[in-house]
Amino acid sequence: MQNWLFLKAGRAWVAALAAIVATGFLMPAGSQAATPAGCTALQTKYPEWKGKTLVNAINPHTPGYEAIDPNDPSKYVGFDIDIGEAIGDCLGFKLTYKPVTFAALLTTLASGQADIVISDIYATKERAKAADFITYSKVFDGVLVAKGNPKGIHGIDMTMCGAAAAENTGFVEVPLVQDLMPKCKAEGKAEPTLQLYDNNANCIQAILAGRADTYVNDVNTVDQAVKANPDKLEKAIAVTIPYSVGIAVPKDKPQFRDAVMAALIEVQKAGIHMELLKKWELDVNNFKEPDILVAD
Amino acid sequence: MSLFLHYLSLPYLLQGIELTLQVTALGLIGGLILGLWLAAMQLSRFWLLAAFARGYTVIFRGTPLILQMVFAYDALPHIGIKLPAVMAAGLALACNEAPFIAEMLRAGVLGVDRGQIAAGQALGMTPSVLMRRIIAPQAIRTMIPAFGNESVSALKNSSLASVIAVQELTLRSTQLASSTFDFFSIFFASGLLYLVLTGAVAAIQLALEWLLDLDRASRQRRLADYLPWRRVDLTAKPSSACGKMKEMTPGLALTPSPALTEADRARRAATVARNNIAVEVKDLRKRYDAQSVLNGLDLTVRIGEVLALLGPSGSGKSTLLRCINHLESWDGGTIRVGGRRLGFGDDGKRLSPRAIANERAHVGVGMVFQQFNLFSHLTAKENIAGPLRWVHGASRTDADRRARELLERVGLSHRADALPRHLSGGQQQRVAIARALAPNPSVLLLDEPTSALDPELVNEVLEVIRRLAIDDGLTMIISTHQLRFADEVADRVAFLSDGRILEEGPAHEVLSNPRHPMTARFLSVVDADRTPEPAR
Repeated sequence: MQNWLFLKAGRAWVAALAAIVATGFLMPAGSQAATPAGCTALQTKYPEWKGKTLVNAINPHTPGYEAIDPNDPSKYVGFDIDIGEAIGDCLGFKLTYKPVTFAALLTTLASGQADIVISDIYATKERAKAADFITYSKVFDGVLVAKGNPKGIHGIDMTMCGAAAAENTGFVEVPLVQDLMPKCKAEGKAEPTLQLYDNNANCIQAILAGRADTYVNDVNTVDQAVKANPDKLEKAIAVTIPYSVGIAVPKDKPQFRDAVMAALIEVQKAGIHMELLKKWELDVNNFKEPDILVAD
Repeated sequence: MSLFLHYLSLPYLLQGIELTLQVTALGLIGGLILGLWLAAMQLSRFWLLAAFARGYTVIFRGTPLILQMVFAYDALPHIGIKLPAVMAAGLALACNEAPFIAEMLRAGVLGVDRGQIAAGQALGMTPSVLMRRIIAPQAIRTMIPAFGNESVSALKNSSLASVIAVQELTLRSTQLASSTFDFFSIFFASGLLYLVLTGAVAAIQLALEWLLDLDRASRQRRLADYLPWRRVDLTAKPSSACGKMKEMTPGLALTPSPALTEADRARRAATVARNNIAVEVKDLRKRYDAQSVLNGLDLTVRIGEVLALLGPSGSGKSTLLRCINHLESWDGGTIRVGGRRLGFGDDGKRLSPRAIANERAHVGVGMVFQQFNLFSHLTAKENIAGPLRWVHGASRTDADRRARELLERVGLSHRADALPRHLSGGQQQRVAIARALAPNPSVLLLDEPTSALDPELVNEVLEVIRRLAIDDGLTMIISTHQLRFADEVADRVAFLSDGRILEEGPAHEVLSNPRHPMTARFLSVVDADRTPEPAR
């Protein structure tokens, strides 16, 4: 299974490379590829969303994935924004954005205040109770620490015992740190403490202010933070987290879920996904063919 | 610094102000409307409404606004109410502000002097006229600082709308900080923007206080007086005109009417005896909790008669007067004024406050209080003319003419535009008498009209009352401790003790030859205590 996935990923990677070579550097940066050919058929099969404007709930505090454009704050930019619009292009809908806290992403979807959530949210069984997920990206976490890693933290493991970890409310890393507490205690070490914040910026500020020792999150987010504060922060290490990133859709709209999945496949087939990873300087190893994750 | 200035002028942040103001405005306007309802319910006579309002207050004052925001945004859609984010935020803020605003309104209303309300009721004002003309104008003035506070607090609280995706100033700042990592310059900039907004609220508050300042018209108060570093007493201002100096008022030449001779008295008594009954009290009983105040009191006053009520404090004089005007209810017995049972319908059922007010105005029972109870936000002239317009439907011209005429009669035409707080006690009481006379009452009740006055101001008031009795033949019931005055002016005196009449009879007779030992003892004590020296 794993191998098969890698194979597929590899093939897509090659396809993407080919696409880039084909379209070449003639394309101005930031512009998008034309709507993939298979999309016409999808719009006939799923006509319900054609011409519509849907609401995408995002937690726009993750530069690279979703954040406002520093040069034009009226726009949201990032990998998730682009991939969402590529899917929208394929099915014929447009997207508007609703910025909410991370913890409120799925609530906003469930209450009908949003139609879709594409916001670097990890698909877990727990979250699948609130929404259906179409997974599209593998997860690599980075461990953000102060410059020089004074506490010697190397992941959510025994090196984190006794440290103060900043996390976003609702992040999957929160239970992982909580699970670590009894283990540290069993070893006779101090338990790690958790500080919960509302967004990335606050977590990063907690380290800069000396309140927290570490912040574990998506490796790209961590890289961005280090890039912004190179003399104060550093990435200790990248760790693997057993999740995938997913697009969340309402549980009561299986047809919409299937349509989004089909569109994502078309977008990947056309090489757009891989192209976007590069555009946003993300690790191409993140690429993942879509799966559906629903509650048991 | 340059980053700070960059963000301070960034259109993206400035546009956020618009949404911040929208949410604040929705919250304040909605909160005011809801708060008015809540306050009205809490002050209402119906316990169920009051209980409901209490319950609402407990819930919405006792839960965090952030939860209310999330509820309005994320929970209401589950029951089919899907409001746009700004509306949901406005709704939550309004629901949250309402109990606070309601409490401010309630405090403002309850803070208005009860005596002024009794005076308004005695003048026949319905509850709604009282609210509109007497309570609200005074309550609003006292509530402005609290409203300023509440507006600033609502403005800051609107930042919580950021949790439900309203792109207001705070949400824009946090997003911008996340994408640019310029955390501090951005938050300093947005902090300054908030400061400008709350500063504007403070300026509006001061301007309103200045606009509604009753002393502004006298040009003695300037806007600059409201600046924080100025030390000006904004509450009361002594006026040179109200000093204690003896002021011989033009118009009220204090040459008293000649005292009545024995023969005059006999003639008057004979005339009065033939007149119809003006006020008839039968077996009146009233208790306050365990203490009984009136114990089967009987009293008859004929048209044109002047009755002086004497008796120690707590003997029931004031309560009797307030019952005659139905400012108080009683437990047993009947009161008829002009042959009508004031406050009861034809079927004997108690009338609503509104109907009682209309009846009071119709039957015409005027009342003068110990504490004057002038409407403190109205000039002397308006105190008289206002009720004529609001209760009796007089035109402004007619009401003003009548007010001027009456002010002249009590010797105060030159103080027509003065506020009560700029008048001496005696002047205030004269205005109060003029106000009570304005609608031509059939009976005038005076409740210790000179007890609150400094000794040197007593006579100017007594002189006015004396003239009403002797020159105008007005029916009056006066509770008083001024024995000589009672002797000169009253046709009859009644001595009250423990809620019943111990002794009554022709004034001169009772005062010089009391039959009951209690009366005699009382008269000798009062006489020794104070012997008013009439101005002669």
